[in-house]
This record gives sequence, structure tokens and C-alpha cells, in this order.
Amino acid sequence: MSARTDVLLWAQRVVARKAAAPYMILEIAASAGLDVAQEAFHKIARLAHPDLHRTALNADELELVTTAYARAAAAYHAIRSQRVPTTRVPAMSEQRPAAGAPTIPIPSSPISGKAVPVPDGPVINPAHAMTAKALLYYRKAELALRRGELTGALLQLKMAIATDPQSQLLRSALAQVETEVKKP
Amino acid sequence: MAVALGIDLGTTNSVAAIATPTGVEFILGARGERVHPSVVAFPMSGGVVVGTDAKRYRLSEPQHVIHSAKRFIGQNTRGPLVQLALTGVRYNVVEGANQQPIVVVRDRKMTMPEISSHVLLHLKRAAERQLGTQIKDAVITVPANFTDGQRQATKEAGRLAGLDVMRLINEPTAAALAYGFGRERDQIIAVFDFGGGTFDVSILRIHGEIFEVLASEGDFFLGGDDLDRALAENLAAECNRTLAVDPRPHPALMMKLMMGAEAIKIHLSDNEAAEGEIDGLDLPGGAVGKLPFSLTRGQFEEIVAGYVQRTMDVTRQVFAAADIDPSMVSDVLCVGGSTRIPMVRQQLAEIFGREPNVTINPDEVVAHGAAIQAGSLTGNLASGTGMGARDAVATGGHSPLARGAVTLPEIVAKRPVLLDVNPATLAIHTAGGFTERLLDKNAPIPIERTRVFTTSRDNQTRVEIDCCRGEQRRYTENEPLGTLLLEGLPPRPRGELKIEVQFRVDADGILHVRASDQTSGKQQEAHLQVLGAPVAEP
Repeated sequence: MSARTDVLLWAQRVVARKAAAPYMILEIAASAGLDVAQEAFHKIARLAHPDLHRTALNADELELVTTAYARAAAAYHAIRSQRVPTTRVPAMSEQRPAAGAPTIPIPSSPISGKAVPVPDGPVINPAHAMTAKALLYYRKAELALRRGELTGALLQLKMAIATDPQSQLLRSALAQVETEVKKP
Repeated sequence: MAVALGIDLGTTNSVAAIATPTGVEFILGARGERVHPSVVAFPMSGGVVVGTDAKRYRLSEPQHVIHSAKRFIGQNTRGPLVQLALTGVRYNVVEGANQQPIVVVRDRKMTMPEISSHVLLHLKRAAERQLGTQIKDAVITVPANFTDGQRQATKEAGRLAGLDVMRLINEPTAAALAYGFGRERDQIIAVFDFGGGTFDVSILRIHGEIFEVLASEGDFFLGGDDLDRALAENLAAECNRTLAVDPRPHPALMMKLMMGAEAIKIHLSDNEAAEGEIDGLDLPGGAVGKLPFSLTRGQFEEIVAGYVQRTMDVTRQVFAAADIDPSMVSDVLCVGGSTRIPMVRQQLAEIFGREPNVTINPDEVVAHGAAIQAGSLTGNLASGTGMGARDAVATGGHSPLARGAVTLPEIVAKRPVLLDVNPATLAIHTAGGFTERLLDKNAPIPIERTRVFTTSRDNQTRVEIDCCRGEQRRYTENEPLGTLLLEGLPPRPRGELKIEVQFRVDADGILHVRASDQTSGKQQEAHLQVLGAPVAEP
């Protein structure tokens, strides 16, 4: 894919997400720290800063890219001004999500009063850590977790493991959720 | 390919340059000078004289010599800062349409962009002579805290000079670009810009080709000219004592003392004491007098200490705004002639815990950065253009291409990406006399934010959207920018209409406001007419 197509696809994606939360615009995890947001924004700047496309795009295309970039800038600033403490955030944060699947993280923030621990370790994109079918269940597990439904998440993760027994990420995620369920 | 000029349009002096494959080439004046005074003279003998030659008329006809136009450009004449600036000039300024300042020279009325366009045209012509080619495109630098009106007026000056202003960039960002382009490093730097007429300090993160401004703070009405004036006031008192003449009501005499003060200031940057006399003083009554002076560096420092203190206070503020600790800063760039004052450098070293970088030329670094950006925007930029180019060559040995190759073809550089910031908080007037912030100071630009508002009365068919800049909660305590009117709204009970207000600050730092009624889908877009911004004189 050419750089031109890349930036236009990105811009369309961002503009379509008009009222989305800042982290969704930056395509990072909701729990991501400031350093991750900065990294993501720098990546966007290298791809889409309007100055880089002055000559290559026509006026309408440039306006689309400028609008998307200007909204990404607002999203980045919103995260910066919350003064999120700089943390190493594991899993799926700096990666671009797989096409069609918005990255919804397993939140590290408290769920109904309880903190879900997040393992330390290298950044892993779940899309690369399991089969496509397992990823579907994994995403459903993430959604369940966001709603605070631990047993629902447990079920989805078990389904995921059934389709991809090899994935280490799924097993560690299952172990985390199980620990959470056992807590009083 | 088109050649684009990088221009540092300064309060006191201007510098222009273009990017070449091996560095930048500065545009020279008739005497080979790189620094061109931002002075425009309309002498009695007729014509317009710009630059070094124009300075000659400062003594003979000070009321016809327009300097420091940057202190007025794009400003509301009624603003307190303009009133303050008026005390420092000997030419006549009146209020024109849209409250813009107008210069009156004899029977001629000129806007500030017109004055500045003479300086830009002077540089454009010098560049065309030097390069032997037509020049159309330019990047012009402005102080980081320049307002909307000032930016619009600067672009207008470029247009009047026949230039297509591709981009306005902030001076400290340009300095950082000149310093860091081609270095491929990850570091945090500070740019301390103390020029002739403005002061600002910025914290930037350089991350490969990304130049991200983390925060920028400044004092628009603080510069080297203020130091000259403080010293000139001192000399005036001395003149009163020794010659029994109060020079303050006499423009030409005061101008002479200002010029003397500037020379003494510069001398004291390299010497511990200055001694001599200012001669050729045309005293009232026709006599010509001379004023002896003797000043140590310590005495000079006492006179200007208050001004220097203000710059350091602002510097401490910027750390908080950028959310960093001074120890994280790995280099401090000094920009602007006033940073040559030893006292300024000492105090900077104390604050940062490190000596400021003195290897860069504070007068030329901003134009250098503007030239790099101009080259980048036109797509002809080579990696050897930055000041860090020599460093880049040293590490080039790791490249397989470099090994064994005698000469390398010029590699097209990664284009720098400037992440500049919004200079002031932008807000709108809401019910009860308060403001609702839409865009924060120090947010990255270009940026866009939309908020939804509603009506406060039943069957309200029009809303006025008053826009302002400033940090205060109460609307009246901020600087008004202008009003956008949305009319023909469908009559509905209060609170039912949804009015979407969109603020966008473009990459030049200029605000665009759009309002639309979401209920009827009727959309009105209007360009905000900023008070003080250039408009045609009726």
C-alpha cells in the first residue's frame, strides 16, 4: 500500500470516529500512559502531519487529513492534560489494531472497585498472539471485562483457548481473570 | 525546482536564508551583511529606504524612520501593549479601521503590514539578486506568543511583498530545527529567545525528525530595546546633570542616547567597563554638545536587573507548563542578541544547572531553521542542511553504503515534522459572563475541537458567539477576538437547540471558528474578524 493510501485510510478512520474517546482516536489502550500516547501521536505525526502532504494530496484530501490530524492532536492533548502518570503499559498498546477490530484493552483501572493486575512484560499485539478465530472470543472477553462481567469474560477466554490451545497470551489472561474471580 | 526563502522578520533586525544541499546560504545586503535592520525610512528627499541605509536617517529625521513595526503589527491600537510601545517610538501612530494601528508619515498613511512588507520585499529582492532566480515562496518566523491578529498581519505583509507565505513558524521552533535537524537523537532542549523586542522560552522534545514543543511561555513586551531604553533614561538623567538639558522632550536627542546606550550595552558584553563620550548631540538652542559617560558592567547589570529577572521568572513557569524538571534539559539554546549579555547567561546556567549552548549564532539560528522548513515544504531538502550535519556524517560510517564508498550521493533527508503549540487559551462567552474553554494554551497545532452549546431563552432565533483569548474565567478579563453570528434558527424552547461550535487552529497558529445548528442542519461558517487584524482602509 502506498503512503498516500495509508494516510487517507487512517484519516477516514479517525474522522468516522468523531465522538470517540481520545485513546480510541490515538488507537491505544484506555489504560495507556502518557509515554505511550506520545509515541502514538509522534507516529501519527510522521504519517499524517499536513505539512508532509502539501504537494502530494489534492485540496479535498488534504482537508480530510488535516481534520483527522487536528482531531488526533486534540485527543493527544486531552490525554496529556489529564496528567496521566507515565507507566509501562503491557499488551496491545502501541500497535495498530487489526483491520475492523478496534483495540479494547483489558483495563488496568479498577473495575467495580477492584483493581485488575496487569502483567509486566514486552508489548504484545493480541492479533499476533493467537488465531483469528480465538481473537474474536478474546475481543468479546475484553468487552465483558469492560462491563465488569468477570464470569462472562472467563467463558469467552475459555472458548478462545478451545480454538487456540497454543496461545500463551490467552492462558495468562485466563489466569489473571481466574485470580480476580476467586477474590472475595 | 522552486526556491523558498526562510525569513526571520525581527523587531530590530531581519535575516533571510535558503536551504542548500550542504547547509544554508544567507542573503547578503549591499555591503555583504547578513543581518538587515528592520527599518523603513521615508526621507524628505523622497522614496523608500530599507535596511542598513534606512538607519542613517534615524538622526536627521527620526519621525520619518519606522522601526519596531513588529511591536504594533496585528495589534489592537487600544490594547495596553500598543500604548506602551508608543512611548518607545518617535513616529506618529493613529487608530485606523478595525482598531488597527496606522503609521502616518507626512501626508501618507500606512498599515503595519505595509511597513513590514517593505522589509520583506527588500529581502526578497536581495535574494533574487544573489541567487539569480525569481522567489515566490517563503516561510516567515514569528514569536511563539504572537496572537491571531499578529499572525494574520504578518501573512498579509508577506502577501503585500509578493510572497506566498507557505507557513508561519514559531521562532524557538525554528531555532530548535536548525540545531537538531539531521541529528536523529531523542532529547529535551530549551530555547531561550531574548531578541530585540520580544522574549519567550520554550521546551522542546526532539525525537528523530519530530520537533515537539512541550510548552512555550513569553513576555511579548520585553526585549533588548527595553534594556537600551533603561540605559538611555540613565544617560538622559546624566545629560540633565552635566549639560543642564533634559533630552526627554527631544526625539532626535533621545534617539541619539538610545543608539549610544545600545553601543554601550554591546561593549559591556565583552568588557568589564565602558568609558567615552557621546558626541554630536544637537542641543536645543543650536549648540552641539557631548556627553561623557563611564559605566562598569556591574552598574549596567543593576540598571537592567529587573528585566533580566522577568525572563528568569518566565523560564521557571515554563518548566511547570511542560511538566519537566530542569535537569531533564540536555541543552539550552540561546537565541537573540540579548542572550550575549553575560548576566543573562550566568542566570540561565544557575537555573538549568548547565552552561547554555554558545556555539550557535543567536542572530542567525532562527532564519537557518526557517530555511530548513522552507526547503522541506517545497520538497528539496538534503540531510546536510542542519547544524548537526557534521555529527550525522560521523555516524554515517555505520551505514553499509558509507563503507568503502568514496563519495555518497546526496541522500534526501527525512522531512522534519514540527509539532508547534497554540499560544493562548481560546474560549467563548457563555451565559453569566463566564467563558467556556475550547482550546488550551500549549496544545499541539493544527488542532480542532467541537463543543455543543444550546440556547438560553425560548424561541431564540440567533446566537452571538463571542470568542476570546486568555486564561481568565470571566469573559471581560480576557482579550476579545471577535464575534460570530448564527441567525435564522428555528424557534424552539430554550435548551432544545444544539449549536455545534468548532474551533480549529491551523498550522500557522491562526484560529478558524465554525458554528452550526444541529437541529435544522443549517450551517453557517464565518471567518472571525480579529480586532486589530489588517483590513482595507475605507
